[in-house]
Formats: sequence, structure tokens, C-alpha cells
Amino acid sequence: MEEFHSGDEVSFSPDEGSNVVKECIEGIIGGVDYSQNKVNQWTASIVQHTLTQLVKQGKPFKYIVNCAVMQKSGAGLHTANSCYWDTTTDGSCTVRWENRTMYCVVSVFAVAIAL
Amino acid sequence: DLNYFHSQTTFVVDEITTVIKEAVESTIGNSSYQHSKINQWMSGIVESSLSQLTKLGKPFKYIVTCIILQKNGAGLHTASSCFWDNSTDGSCTVRWENKTIYCIVSVFGLAI
Repeated sequence: MEEFHSGDEVSFSPDEGSNVVKECIEGIIGGVDYSQNKVNQWTASIVQHTLTQLVKQGKPFKYIVNCAVMQKSGAGLHTANSCYWDTTTDGSCTVRWENRTMYCVVSVFAVAIAL
Repeated sequence: DLNYFHSQTTFVVDEITTVIKEAVESTIGNSSYQHSKINQWMSGIVESSLSQLTKLGKPFKYIVTCIILQKNGAGLHTASSCFWDNSTDGSCTVRWENKTIYCIVSVFGLAI
């Protein structure tokens, strides 16, 4: 669970982050089926595109964007994250997306830069 | 000593890789994939990694991510992209497997 402290300090907004991510995923793998040849290109585009959109917001943050794409075949996949940072300014968001043939999980971590 | 100063303020991949391998080995070791144990394994791995990393006493913020995948033929692809300070920040990824499990742990270290 994340708490937000609104005030003068800049803090990461997970909702805004999620929206940026969702648009990037839809734009790149929106209506397509899993394809082994294309998947490397998709994951690279998703992370680069998301990062570019986040940096354009001009906020004083360092970002890490992670993307995992998995074929739907019945295997179990589990992910976990743990972070050691400043909870008043730093934050993360994770978007889980799927279509008929694949799952896509994208996480964004934003760490404030001391100004 | 300039080398010592450098190693205390930058992300040293070899050191971090060793920390992570130990955390994974000691948590999953020879176990077989078991759905009921996954949550406990995942928490064990990330928490033990993070506590060993903070013990290194360096001026860094850390993010540890862990993926556990059952071996049954599915394809998994991951990518990350980072916007940070190239001179001090870094990451490393450890891929570990046994007969029934793939475990991928990534650590991102950002200088304060």
C-alpha cells in the first residue's frame, strides 16, 4: 500500500505513471498475438517508449522501467519487488495487461533526485 | 585511496551478484516448484537481498525485483530501461535455475 503526502515536495503519482504505461503497451502490442520473433522488439519498445514519456514530464526523478512478456501457456509466473528508498518522495506502479495469447507486466520505479 | 573511495560510492556488480546468489540459494536451493510456497520464497529472496545490500553501508537507494517461473515450456521475455546517473548508478541481474524453477533477480542501485 502506498501513502501519499501532498505538499510542496514532488512525489511520484502512480496513477499518472500507470496511464503512461497503459498507453505505451496498447500502442505497441494492442491487437497482436504472441510471436517469438517479435517479442524482443516489443519489450525493448515498451520500456524505451515509457521511459521517454516519463522523462518528458520534466520532474526531478530517476526512473527504472521493467517489462516482462509471457506467452499464455499455463505456466505459473510470480513477481515481487522490494525497495529501499525515501517513502515520502519515491514510488512505483505496476501495470498488468493481457490479451488472448500473452501477459505483459510493466513496473515503473521513480526515485527523487535531491535538488 | 582513490580506488577505495570509488568502490564505496559506485555500484559494484560483482559484489552485488554474490549477495543475490546467496540469497536465492539459501531460500530456494534444491526445492521443486510448489505453488503454495511461492509467496514465502519471493518474500524471503527480496527481503534477504535487500537487508544484505543495506548492510554494505553504501549511500544508495535500492530496488530489488524477483521473478519465479515454473519450467513448463512457456516463453518469458523481460527488458528494462533506466534514466539515471551513469557515473554512479547501476544494475545487475542474476538468472538462477534448478530442475523445476527459473528465478530471475534484478537489483538497481541509485546513488543518493
